Amino acid sequence: MPFLEFVSDSLAVAENEFRQFRRNRSAILISLVILPFFFTASLGAGRGGAGTTFSATADIPMAFVDNDFSVASLRLWQTLESSPDFHSLIQSYDEQQSIALLGTKKIFAVIVVPKGFQSDLDNNVQARIILYTDDSEPGVSDQIQSTLTNYVQNFNPNVEVQPQLTEAEKQAISGVEIIQKGASFAGFNVGLTIVLAVVQIFAVFYEIAGGMSREREEGTYARLLVTPIPIGAIILGKTLFDILLSIVRTFIVLGLAIYGYGARPNTDLLTILALSLLVALVTMGLGFVASALKLGQRAVVIVEFFLILLLFAFSGLIIDKELLVGVSQTIATILPFSYAFDALRRTILLGRPVLSLTYDLEYLFVSGALFYGAAFLLLSKSRERLIR
Amino acid sequence: MPDNSITTQALTKMFGHFRAVDTLNLSVNAGELFGLLGPNGAGKTTTVRMLCTLTEPTMGSASVAGYDIRKDAAAVRRSIGVVSEGVSLYKDLTIEENLRLLSTLYDIPRARAESRIQELLEMFAFREKTKRLVSALSTGWAKKAMICAALLHDPKVLFLDEVTSGLDPQSAIALQDFTRHLCEQGVTVIWTTHYMGEPEKICDRVGIMFAGRLVQVGTPDELKHSVSELSLVEVETPDLSPAQLEKVKHKLSSMNQVCRIKYAESKLQVSCERRETLAEEVASALLDVGARIRTINTKDPTLEEAFIALTGGEDEIDRFMERAEQTK
Repeated sequence: MPFLEFVSDSLAVAENEFRQFRRNRSAILISLVILPFFFTASLGAGRGGAGTTFSATADIPMAFVDNDFSVASLRLWQTLESSPDFHSLIQSYDEQQSIALLGTKKIFAVIVVPKGFQSDLDNNVQARIILYTDDSEPGVSDQIQSTLTNYVQNFNPNVEVQPQLTEAEKQAISGVEIIQKGASFAGFNVGLTIVLAVVQIFAVFYEIAGGMSREREEGTYARLLVTPIPIGAIILGKTLFDILLSIVRTFIVLGLAIYGYGARPNTDLLTILALSLLVALVTMGLGFVASALKLGQRAVVIVEFFLILLLFAFSGLIIDKELLVGVSQTIATILPFSYAFDALRRTILLGRPVLSLTYDLEYLFVSGALFYGAAFLLLSKSRERLIR
Repeated sequence: MPDNSITTQALTKMFGHFRAVDTLNLSVNAGELFGLLGPNGAGKTTTVRMLCTLTEPTMGSASVAGYDIRKDAAAVRRSIGVVSEGVSLYKDLTIEENLRLLSTLYDIPRARAESRIQELLEMFAFREKTKRLVSALSTGWAKKAMICAALLHDPKVLFLDEVTSGLDPQSAIALQDFTRHLCEQGVTVIWTTHYMGEPEKICDRVGIMFAGRLVQVGTPDELKHSVSELSLVEVETPDLSPAQLEKVKHKLSSMNQVCRIKYAESKLQVSCERRETLAEEVASALLDVGARIRTINTKDPTLEEAFIALTGGEDEIDRFMERAEQTK
């Protein structure tokens, strides 16, 4: 029965991969320890997890200049000063002197309450708070502005420390300028989408392309090729084993993110697992294509480096792909990983059901199928590609 | 009905403009131990790779064990065993684990596979080494492990490519005896090597490859006979002056079509077309010019000498090796 032989051959290859993997400490270390733990822990610790106690601005020294000397400005000072986000807020009485300190690393922002703040509020006129920041520090300015905006949104001078308001209550408050900017989600929930995809892509590409390259260089691929095993069974066997590794990796990342850093995904674990495996499968296809191009182990590392650069530059990891222009946007549109990041964000952050992501899923399935098809053709057509 | 033989018709492999194998026509009989001889880069390994279905021929056709290498590649793979430097075992697995993996890929039923694995491991006396990782085996044992892997599925045709390189002399001799034994059981063996001594001892027939072409095929004796009619005389004659050497050369060339005269380290080597009286003529020429003679030896040409003669001499081989190196 050719089909049963095909399955049996694939399982034999998968079992063989497992036997080798369990004896290869560096592979275990890279695939299941360093990559998932390093990325999750570094981003989790960097963002302080998704819990409520973390604040990116808490320890940033800032000056508060009250030029209004009113009850409202005093209450605003008290609100900020007692909040967990402005632990290092210093009261200053000289606006110019405070501004002059920006760029000296002694303070990074100056919050100025201008004269007329209270009267603007009393007269239902929009009141303003002026924020000066040290623009030489990347990201600090945006973070302070975003955090301060949240407090200003919730600020009510009649209450000493204003609790979080509902959207309806916010709408009822007039007079304070609302700046629509800043993260809407707890930092590490966003980070989780990045970690999941980056860890899978990074690890899977190396496992497949690097593994095939090692087999070529050591002559074990040629050993397989002189047996009757079909190329498809080799590809399927290696894929099966890597799916297993990818599942374990997904659980490591999720476990650490949820239990270690308090991430709260807005969807069920099965959906995250399914998307994570889809990302892994697309990457596996890409890895097989790379291996069919006879890349050596060094070349695999270099390609992986460029792949990561592509991910960070064009997949919406740092700059949203809708904000890219020209060639950059074309690359982002072609790159399947852009759709993977989109799908992960929309499920993990927005809680959208996986089947509502039709376009993203279709694109990922088609890319994966194309990669696998191309790899199969290349490897079948020219068997000598992967022999020494 | 498939047989164990190998036939090739105008088999050619090109890498770009370089003809690694050039219109190879070869026929190997069932149960024959056939030596494929040639320097590095002559095309031996490429030929083996095409016959093993590892490399696609550019032109021509070939059949192995009765199966066409293009149309019935899977059947060819089921019928062959390969031991080659480029075909290795998994280093992170033990020899037993490697053999079990291969037994699944060759679809050998589990019970039969287990008994065959034990039989092979006992035959090569692996004993406690069966549990060692291949990476922990010495070169000799690793080579034996590869031979076990090649024999696991009782192949009809066995390709042994430079199989004795890295082996100690005892293991090499044991392997040669074992291979002869396999041929007696009906297995066809292709033995490729660049060591000239091996095929001379064990092969039924030898094919000499050079620059991608099969230059000559025959039994070792036929090959030696075909090129030489060469006779070689070696005379130990100390302190032969250049003038004396010139006179000897002149005398000999007037008597014979002398192929080559070489004088180094007090030894004069004269090789020319076979003639019974060559030793006497050389001795006479030396005595005539007043040279002293300590010893005189005559010897038959070896396969190595036949090889050199067939491939155009050492200079031609050197030029070919340079070209092969540049092509690489």
